[in-house]
Amino acid sequence: MRSPTPGCAVPRRGHLPRGLVAGGALIGILAFFGIAAPFVATDRPLLARGPDGWSSPAARSAFGLPDAPAGRSATAVVMAPIPRAPETIQLDSVLAPPGPGHWLGTDGLGRDVGSRLVHGARVSLAVGFLSAALALLVGLPLGALAGWSRGPIDAAVSRGVEAMLCFPSLLLALALLASSPPWLSALPDSVRLALVLGITGWTPAARYVRAEFLKLGGSALVDSARASGAGSLRIAVRHVLPHAAAPVLVTASFSVGSAILLEASLSFLGLGVRPPTPTWGGLLTEAAAHLERGWWLALLPGAALFLSVLGCNLAGEGLRDRLDPRSRP
Amino acid sequence: MVRAIARRLATGAVTLLLVTAIVFALAAMSTGSSLPGESVEDTSPLTPEQRAEIRALYHFDEPLHVRYGMWLQDLLRGDLGRSFHDRRPVAAKIAERLPATLALNAAALLLMILVSVPLGALAASSPGSLLDRAAGSATYALYSIPVFWAALLLQLAFAIRLGWLPLYGTQTSGMEAAPLVARLHDRLAHFVLPTVCLAYPGFAYLSRFVRGILVDNAAAESARAARARGLAPSAVVIRHGFRQAAVPLLTLAGFLLPRLVGGSVIVETIFAIPGLGHLFVGAMFQRDIPVVMGLTLLSGAATLGGVVAADLLYAVADPRVRRA
Repeated sequence: MRSPTPGCAVPRRGHLPRGLVAGGALIGILAFFGIAAPFVATDRPLLARGPDGWSSPAARSAFGLPDAPAGRSATAVVMAPIPRAPETIQLDSVLAPPGPGHWLGTDGLGRDVGSRLVHGARVSLAVGFLSAALALLVGLPLGALAGWSRGPIDAAVSRGVEAMLCFPSLLLALALLASSPPWLSALPDSVRLALVLGITGWTPAARYVRAEFLKLGGSALVDSARASGAGSLRIAVRHVLPHAAAPVLVTASFSVGSAILLEASLSFLGLGVRPPTPTWGGLLTEAAAHLERGWWLALLPGAALFLSVLGCNLAGEGLRDRLDPRSRP
Repeated sequence: MVRAIARRLATGAVTLLLVTAIVFALAAMSTGSSLPGESVEDTSPLTPEQRAEIRALYHFDEPLHVRYGMWLQDLLRGDLGRSFHDRRPVAAKIAERLPATLALNAAALLLMILVSVPLGALAASSPGSLLDRAAGSATYALYSIPVFWAALLLQLAFAIRLGWLPLYGTQTSGMEAAPLVARLHDRLAHFVLPTVCLAYPGFAYLSRFVRGILVDNAAAESARAARARGLAPSAVVIRHGFRQAAVPLLTLAGFLLPRLVGGSVIVETIFAIPGLGHLFVGAMFQRDIPVVMGLTLLSGAATLGGVVAADLLYAVADPRVRRA
């Protein structure tokens, strides 16, 4: 990134903070599983050999294509590491403990827990990142406007943020879902959740951006830009906004973590993504129903959630240390 | 100081009005789709007369701003409206569920303080030491554990495997006739796991907060003077550090309250505790909008009250603010 003003650029030298590396690696691994889920856990062969040559039924289904006409007569050559689909019900192997057939056991309907866990990463991470992006989309302009204009607009935005912060974020999301306005209930589950979490979660971004604009508004940085003839909008976007990038990145990574947690809470309460789509929160609801006979159901979905939230928080702290030397202990 | 207090109260009032506006907007979006008998899946359709009666009861035929005004007037009289579900006053429904939630939250807050303050003080006594870093990492990891996962694991370990504590509920059935001590013991046992679940996410920020203040104060002039007078390090922490920590701790109210309320929703659902969180989730599934509104408003207003009260106490307690 080219720095528009000298002296306050993002520091480049030095090692990356350990938290940032560890957090980034955690999120990276989980995101890999989420993205590659149709190839990691599927009952279709990754590679099959039929009468008219090689094919990949898994790839066809991952990209939404119908099975090849010769697909049925093809013989599987390479199967996925978890050769089960997440929604296949097998009533002859209900609540099977982890073992050779099912590495992580099966749930109350005989579905493969490993496969559901891998596919669950998709919803969790997609909702987490999408809602954080939406929160930024709302919070950044509002915060910038408030901090830059000061006066009555600032007072209005600040009171609004203060009012929003009075509500626990889970309660606000639940209330919005409960009222389920028609424009909201028409959306697909994960988009709806991301939207709800974005609408209810923009306040931290707005607060930090406002503080940054307020701090820099009267500084020599702005005066010098104005002296050289730059217009107000240009100063705000080209000179002040880049400085707000650091706090924004930090809040964004924390808000991905809290959105993942909130999505899981909503799904756990039965108000998130509806079954049979596997989500980590939903897997834990099933675990609660079979707690006495299926301990393995509770273990890994929660661990996956824990690691992704921990990853986001570590990355956020690491970013903060990296971008803002003052916060170093 | 009077001017500062008056200003804080005025901005607090504006925020309170915004809080009510947010709650009303949330509810207003749902109108029409939520009226009993008007949804497709309702199996007992109402007669047109009954429907008109309900529409009149909830003022559904008035324009939005009129309804908002009427709702605010009712609020001023302490009337939160009537439940869609059983037509009982929302305030009465909340009142009968409040004690369980208050007891749970008070116990959680107490546990949070009992664990975090000593932990923070211990960590602050040797900043940068192995103990300090271990405490920091452990509470940090705890903070990232989803509460419903922790609840399941604790239930699995202490209720199912070890059998030491009850799985859920607030009392064992058939204990009504038992002697008082046994009944009390039974009640308390039911509250152990929920309290732990509600409290543990707070260990991280509360203990780090206490540590931060104590470390700052230890570096301050007054602490150095105290050490120079020959006070033991522990005495410096206790007699000087904590006194100064008390004021900033007040500001935590605004941070802690919403989290406790949000946590109550999940904890009460998992452990089947008949409190406000339980009521909220039930009302959500029944689309009982007046109850959802009442509880959302209550939590928002309570948090705002906590924040404003903390700010006012801060103004009274801090001589620098007091003079302004």
